[in-house]
Amino acid sequence: MLHQTANAAPAEVRTQRGAHLRPYALPAAVLVTCGVLAASLFIGVYDVVGGERGAEMFAITRIPRTIALVLAGCALAVSGLVMQMLTQNRFVDATTAGTTEWASLGLLVTVLVAPAAGLTARMIVASLAAFVGTLVFLAVLRRIAVRTTLVVPLVGIMLGAVVSAFTTFLAASTNSLQMLGTWFMGSFTSVVRGRYEVLWVVAIVTLLVFLAADRFTVAGLGRDVATSVGMRYELVVFTGTALVAVAAGVTTVVVGFLPFIGLVVPNVVSMIRGDDLRSNLPWVCLGGVLLVTVCDIIGRTVRMPFEIPVSMVLGIVGSAVFIALLVRRRG
Amino acid sequence: MPRSRTRLVAAGAFAALTLALAGCAGAASEADPIEDTPAAGTVTIEDNHGEVEVPIDPARVVALDNHVFETLAAWDIPLVAAPKPIMGSTWPQYTDDETVLDAGSHFEPQLESIIAAQPDLIIGGYRFAESYDAIVEQNPDAVVIEIAPREGEDQSAELIRQVEILGQIFDREAEAAELVADFEGAIADAADAYDGESSVTTLLTSGGEISYLAPVTGRSLGVLYPNVGLVPGIDQAADDTSHGDDISVEAIAAANPDWLIVMDRDGALAAPEGYVAAAELIEGSAALANVTAVAEGQVVYVDPNFYLTEDIQSYTALYEQLAEAFGA
Repeated sequence: MLHQTANAAPAEVRTQRGAHLRPYALPAAVLVTCGVLAASLFIGVYDVVGGERGAEMFAITRIPRTIALVLAGCALAVSGLVMQMLTQNRFVDATTAGTTEWASLGLLVTVLVAPAAGLTARMIVASLAAFVGTLVFLAVLRRIAVRTTLVVPLVGIMLGAVVSAFTTFLAASTNSLQMLGTWFMGSFTSVVRGRYEVLWVVAIVTLLVFLAADRFTVAGLGRDVATSVGMRYELVVFTGTALVAVAAGVTTVVVGFLPFIGLVVPNVVSMIRGDDLRSNLPWVCLGGVLLVTVCDIIGRTVRMPFEIPVSMVLGIVGSAVFIALLVRRRG
Repeated sequence: MPRSRTRLVAAGAFAALTLALAGCAGAASEADPIEDTPAAGTVTIEDNHGEVEVPIDPARVVALDNHVFETLAAWDIPLVAAPKPIMGSTWPQYTDDETVLDAGSHFEPQLESIIAAQPDLIIGGYRFAESYDAIVEQNPDAVVIEIAPREGEDQSAELIRQVEILGQIFDREAEAAELVADFEGAIADAADAYDGESSVTTLLTSGGEISYLAPVTGRSLGVLYPNVGLVPGIDQAADDTSHGDDISVEAIAAANPDWLIVMDRDGALAAPEGYVAAAELIEGSAALANVTAVAEGQVVYVDPNFYLTEDIQSYTALYEQLAEAFGA
């Protein structure tokens, strides 16, 4: 059975089961994540322990890359969760709502119009485009009478496809098609000291989501409920959209497309733990970090000394999990 | 689909207009002594598909293969159509001339402009190889040849073969022989200047990313290894021979090559300048600062137009560049 509303009974039951383990669960998960992050720090082509300039290389590439993985993983998983609350639909995230497609259109336009614009300008325009795009998505949703579980992401995917077709056309007619492919291929290969720092912006996004968690939960109950308990629903939706747009815009500019994180992680967490957004948030963060980091480690080890973009690994892992998720829910 | 209909109408109108223009040109050429005296007869050449009989010094030539533009330009051969979007700004005599019809790019070929150009000879192939059958079918009155370097053959021999065929067709055999001599001389000079043991790694940069071009099979630069006898700094077979494999700065640092030869793919395309130039990417990288090649200034940046040309002249220039760098 596919649930449209957030708090369904079976989830409650699942939460109760294994409750006695609960005090240890989070610290254990944190430990596992730390272990994976440590592995990320020490896995790579250069011998950072015995190598002549090992320590230097460690500081130049490994630490920045691992920090970037943490930031991007957290932000994308959390923004997926926020979007699912705002649209009251479990299958919506930045990639199924067209948000990332808008961000990349913004990025391409910036580069074409103002080639000299720096990273900051590109991020601002990409985030603005993502914001506008997500508002368009929400506005279209409001005008649609049938809002079943599958229609909502379908609308998003369709809107995204239209935007991405336009982006491709623009790139093809300006001879930048191949460059477009390189840019948006989500990959941490080029993340080194000096080329990732802007990602810290998404740490702020994650923090703000933590602070506003309760509001998003109430908004997730729908406009009527939210309004009747005295919440300014529109403001919360607006804020949530803006946060998601910034996360999508910044990661698209710095890393590229990272599919499935926002979709898979929040869903797995709420399947296991139920739907309390505030207590789920740390889990969603950890899950996002784990998924991205593990996929990135796979990407950099299977073809050493070359790398496979993390987006490709995520695509494979993510789609497998997603299908498993759909099948399980149905059964 | 209204869009395709519009395009069809536009193409039709365009073709009609061009026919009219071509008619005028034909009438004018009656009085033009140069056009009126084509070199006698035909020559039989061996192209990538077999033996073809080609008219000597044909009047109306369409060239689609990037390898031939430099030679044709040097010999003042006029073209009636060319793939302008993938020619950069290197051959303004073709790209800026409105009477030269635009055959589009390999992503979006405009084969109808080739028909409209009423060519006697079409030099196809390379990026346009996929359109070969369509071009042959649509242009029954033209001779279509493909003389681009063939996969799996020795690439230098292929470049020589190509320019020699052009020499035969355009009756410039002495000039072709000169180009070949320059080319062979440059290879020999580069091999002489190379010390025979310094390790070399070839890279491709695009959109701020670095990728690895494998010895022998890697695009454009792979052939340098066997021809000059270079010792590879990283010796791995490539998965992606044309656009290179994703490689981290760490892997380059770990290999610590003595020389880097870098091709900047985006540098060739005239349009957006929103890319990080190769030099900034390589020399600006803290991780690469202590690699011998960077520390000792032994980084060779290939001419940005190389990605578009890859012709015998570009290789001659590249080998000369290497000879000079290695000899310094």
